[in-house]
Amino acid sequence: MKLLVCIKQVPDMESRFKPDASGIWYNEADLAFRMNEYDEYAVEQAVQLREKLGEGSELTVLSIGPDRVVEAIKKALAMGCDNAVHVQDTAASAKDPWQIASIIAGYAKDKSFDVIFTGMQSQDRGSAQVGVTVAELLGVACTTTIVGFAYDNGVITAKRELEGGIKGAVTLNTPALVTCQLGLNVPRYPTLPNIMKAKKKEITAIPAADLTTSESLAATTSFHPPAKKGGGIVLEGDVGELVDKVIAILKDKTAVLR
Amino acid sequence: MEATRQIYWNVGHSVVIPMYLMAFAAFGWMAWGFWQRLPIWRLGKALDRFDRYDERIKRMIAEVFSQVKIYRVTDGGVFHAIFFWSFLILFAGTMLVMVQADFFTPLLQVNVLSGEFYKIFSLALDVAGILALIMLAGLFIRRFVVQPKGLEIVKDDYIVLQLLFAILITGFLTEGVRIAATELQQNPALAKFSPGGLLVAQIFASMTPGTQQVVHQILWWLHFVLVLGFFCAVPYTKLRHIFTTAANAFLAPFEPKGSIANINLEDESAEQFGASTIADMTWKDIFDADACTSCKRCQDRCPAHTTDKPLSPMRVVKQIGELAESNPGGSLIEAVSQEALWSCTTCRACQDVCPANIEHVNKILEMRRNLTLMEGVFPGDEVRTAVSNIEINGNPFGLAYAARGEWVAGLPVSLMEQDSDVDILYFVGCYASFDKRNQAIAKNFIKICAAAGIKVGILGKEEKCCGEPVRKLGNEYLYQMTATENIQMIKAYAVKKIVTTCPHCFNTLARDYKDLGLDIPVEHYSTYIHALLQSGRLSLTPDPFSFTYHDSCYLGRYMDIIEQPRAILANAGGVITEMAKNGYDSFCCSAGGGRIIAEEKLGSKISEVRITMATETGAPLLVSNCPFCLSMFEDGIKTGGAEGQLQVRDLAEIVAERITR
Amino acid sequence: MKTLLIGEYREGKMLDSTYELLGFAQQFGGESTLLLVGSETQLPAYAGTLYLADAASCGEYNPDLHKKLILETVQKEDPDYIVFVHSSYGWDLAPRVAATLKAAQVSEIIAIADGGFEVACCNAKMRRTVKPLTAKAVLTIQAGAFPVLQPGGAPAVVKISAEGNGRLAFVGYEPTEKKDIDLAKAEVIVSAGRGVGKKDNIPVIQALATALGGELGASRPVVDAEWVSHDHQVGTTGQTVSPKLYVACGISGAIQHLAGMKKSDFILAINKDKDAPIGEIADVLVVADVMQFVPALMAKVAR
Repeated sequence: MKLLVCIKQVPDMESRFKPDASGIWYNEADLAFRMNEYDEYAVEQAVQLREKLGEGSELTVLSIGPDRVVEAIKKALAMGCDNAVHVQDTAASAKDPWQIASIIAGYAKDKSFDVIFTGMQSQDRGSAQVGVTVAELLGVACTTTIVGFAYDNGVITAKRELEGGIKGAVTLNTPALVTCQLGLNVPRYPTLPNIMKAKKKEITAIPAADLTTSESLAATTSFHPPAKKGGGIVLEGDVGELVDKVIAILKDKTAVLR
Repeated sequence: MEATRQIYWNVGHSVVIPMYLMAFAAFGWMAWGFWQRLPIWRLGKALDRFDRYDERIKRMIAEVFSQVKIYRVTDGGVFHAIFFWSFLILFAGTMLVMVQADFFTPLLQVNVLSGEFYKIFSLALDVAGILALIMLAGLFIRRFVVQPKGLEIVKDDYIVLQLLFAILITGFLTEGVRIAATELQQNPALAKFSPGGLLVAQIFASMTPGTQQVVHQILWWLHFVLVLGFFCAVPYTKLRHIFTTAANAFLAPFEPKGSIANINLEDESAEQFGASTIADMTWKDIFDADACTSCKRCQDRCPAHTTDKPLSPMRVVKQIGELAESNPGGSLIEAVSQEALWSCTTCRACQDVCPANIEHVNKILEMRRNLTLMEGVFPGDEVRTAVSNIEINGNPFGLAYAARGEWVAGLPVSLMEQDSDVDILYFVGCYASFDKRNQAIAKNFIKICAAAGIKVGILGKEEKCCGEPVRKLGNEYLYQMTATENIQMIKAYAVKKIVTTCPHCFNTLARDYKDLGLDIPVEHYSTYIHALLQSGRLSLTPDPFSFTYHDSCYLGRYMDIIEQPRAILANAGGVITEMAKNGYDSFCCSAGGGRIIAEEKLGSKISEVRITMATETGAPLLVSNCPFCLSMFEDGIKTGGAEGQLQVRDLAEIVAERITR
Repeated sequence: MKTLLIGEYREGKMLDSTYELLGFAQQFGGESTLLLVGSETQLPAYAGTLYLADAASCGEYNPDLHKKLILETVQKEDPDYIVFVHSSYGWDLAPRVAATLKAAQVSEIIAIADGGFEVACCNAKMRRTVKPLTAKAVLTIQAGAFPVLQPGGAPAVVKISAEGNGRLAFVGYEPTEKKDIDLAKAEVIVSAGRGVGKKDNIPVIQALATALGGELGASRPVVDAEWVSHDHQVGTTGQTVSPKLYVACGISGAIQHLAGMKKSDFILAINKDKDAPIGEIADVLVVADVMQFVPALMAKVAR
């Protein structure tokens, strides 16, 4: 069986974001990059399936972006992916979800992957489109935001997370794509022998232009901080004084304290 | 009449041959017993502890004969030391008798054991025997009547104590009969030089000479057989410590305290990291179990053990020995338990107090390395998060790495990337960089340096966690990653000296980084400030205050910096009231060994215990020298209900307030 | 300008979020029609055109069939925008429709902006303005971002249907654990976030909730860490609440959480980080350590 997991390298969300020169995305200076959190669940699930399938199965990890994304790829390899594809694209951040999905589909179209894993969304862009769009472009079954995954003999049983704590169980036949949500698993911490082994695993570099030339369908026109909600007060200082101020405000503005 | 005695009186010279044969048999038996231990010790990995022979021998002789490590703890220790010296005199005396009887007399026809010397000899041995008996009685009462908490009573204790009593008592009885039959009759004045024997002789005085002779022969043989029994028992009972503990004084490492073996991450053939079975330990780790006397001093001082966590350093050492003996292929980590391994704060109190030079901490570290590097296990999810934060942002909080140097806003500090021509590079550390409370340490240190005219530089966002917490949790890979990056960054500038305000950074940069190629002098701010005061570059205007002082483990026990901080505080006008546990006996704050990033889920809070010790001094102020300690104590004061009673402040805060304008 | 709104239906009920689509459509202007895979017995209170397929035959979650229904309706109505709620239903279906139409998709819209749509990004710390470049576009709107609009009246129903099985089979729902408490009815909610540090500190937050006569709430990480049971969870995967007073203790304000509580009358947030997203919607943000501030507040409140 052939498995694919698609990952994105994103800035750590604790970082301070500043618009870049063009004003439509963040400036990468001073940002710490890491694997997108949802993609870590995807990698873990893919590795678990790979381990279950054993010999004869192959798990490929794919990431699109500049050279820095190799760090994320290496982590996925250390977690247990067999080999990797680095789609080289220094302008990946300027591409819309459609273009990114087209690149992945362009790579995967003739590889007959049985199961493709992605995160449910990226932490930075948060469009939640790429996974589903890849499935549509490849014409494979797909379900999203899974918090439970089981595979048996060509059939995936997945649990989707719905609103209000309810879960929906679905089955789908392979080939299929699933997008992974927080709560699916606890991503493993790569062991040192696996980190060492990962250093020898193959990372195939492919220029993005070789995979797609599709145009973007949507354009970002501005990247900016949210407007502060009017009227919000920020209180700082000594805890004792803060308590008194807060009590005074609560008495004044709410009916809760009298 | 000349003062001497007839050796082999009553038993006759005919005993010499059977006596020596039996003695050699006993020695052979003893040697055989130890020989049988060899394959067990050899289960471990190689480790060279036979270099610098002369120094090792000197150290062993000094430690064994001075008993300094034994009587450091008076409870039990004083009894043991006096017993040891007494027994040593008895042993030496017996050897002298042997040499006299079987060499001097037959070969040289000389009798050294005569005249005034014999009187001193006789008195010395007699007094030593009495002292040994009294000490033994003390040890007996301690173990079986007082029964200090944690002191286990095992089969060995009955055997060893009874055997020693029997040897001493039969010795006195044999002497008593002999005196009754000989000296009392022939030279009563000489008998006074054997006060113990003289007293015992009264029992036998009324017997007929015939009966005395029979009784003497029986007692002599009994005494002799018991002594042989003693030798035979050595390898099979706790008595083995006579050799193994002494050997450990020879085998103890010469490396600086806290040295940890680097794992070679370039070695691609390596497939096993850390210790999961006996074979992953060194032979010395297994030997340590034989050197352990179960004195439980380590356990008494272990902050984890005393707060009801499932760790006893003594038990860990024993468990390794038991596993090596019974099931060498078995899982070491299961035998010791993960909870016990994660509970260690690497405070080194166990190793410091151990009279047998056992190396507890690195054993635990090796097992942690296995858990972390081979299994990817963490002591808790909060640790997993903190570790990934260090990976990504270079600090355990997960705060943006780019904000690391923001605390310096408005202070006279150079960012190295802008101006690296500085007197010292201040390696700030994560806590002083990001944590509001600890930023006070950093800011005050800058103030102190400014007053002394020292130009300070920091790496700012180029600095990362020193890697100490993750290294102590066993994550050698992440440690070496961050360490290497820090070292490269530091080496990129012409740094003359590094100063830290964190003892953990200090140990790591000064000792651990050295192994990775950083050879720039590193100092902790306490010695740095001390030197500034000594040289007159900095002067303080004393403002009286009363305080108690906490020796952080990594400054005191690990780096032997105990007096300088106290001297600084005295210079600042401080009047100290020491806690009972201070200096080398200091009690950990709970944050060492990577526990700073872990929750303390088991047992009671170590920091609260320490805070109680501090409040008991009556001093209103606790001075610390470490950001981890400061954080733990701020917490412990709140949760332990000492608010309003005790305040914790850092050394730098105290000094900065008293700089002479 | 014409919008086709895709309503939501689950466990035999039309979801109220459908009315948020109407709220969006009203703000957006132009003509709008509604499509729902639901039931005749659960019609929205709205007087426009409703394309209605039967969930009994088309399934509540059957993306292949639902996509087919939507595409057929798009052909008939020729809308400029096809609008979903950014929910487990919407974010699953919208990209399928967009990909087939090769239309732009703008996800999780929080506001209509000049020349495009405002969306949240970077964990709600930042915003983007996105402009579709295609003639038709697919939109998903953030739950709770637009006002609920219940215009009343009865729709003009146009029945539609689709045949086939689709490539995935819906097996069934797994109910959430039984609820001991109903946060939706609480007048005061004091919620604990990761910033409280550890499970041991939860009783401190609970005590404040009790002292204020309210209930304990929690953010998702706290529930996931099993510090607090799931029925206390506030947010899109928990409960959406609107108490008179909401106290967020150590909650930085993940978008899912904010969406679940931003309709509270008064929001008091306690957080170490002055720049935490919770500050954007809080009426008062106290910059302090939760475990220092809450016990101090508690002491004064209890007096």
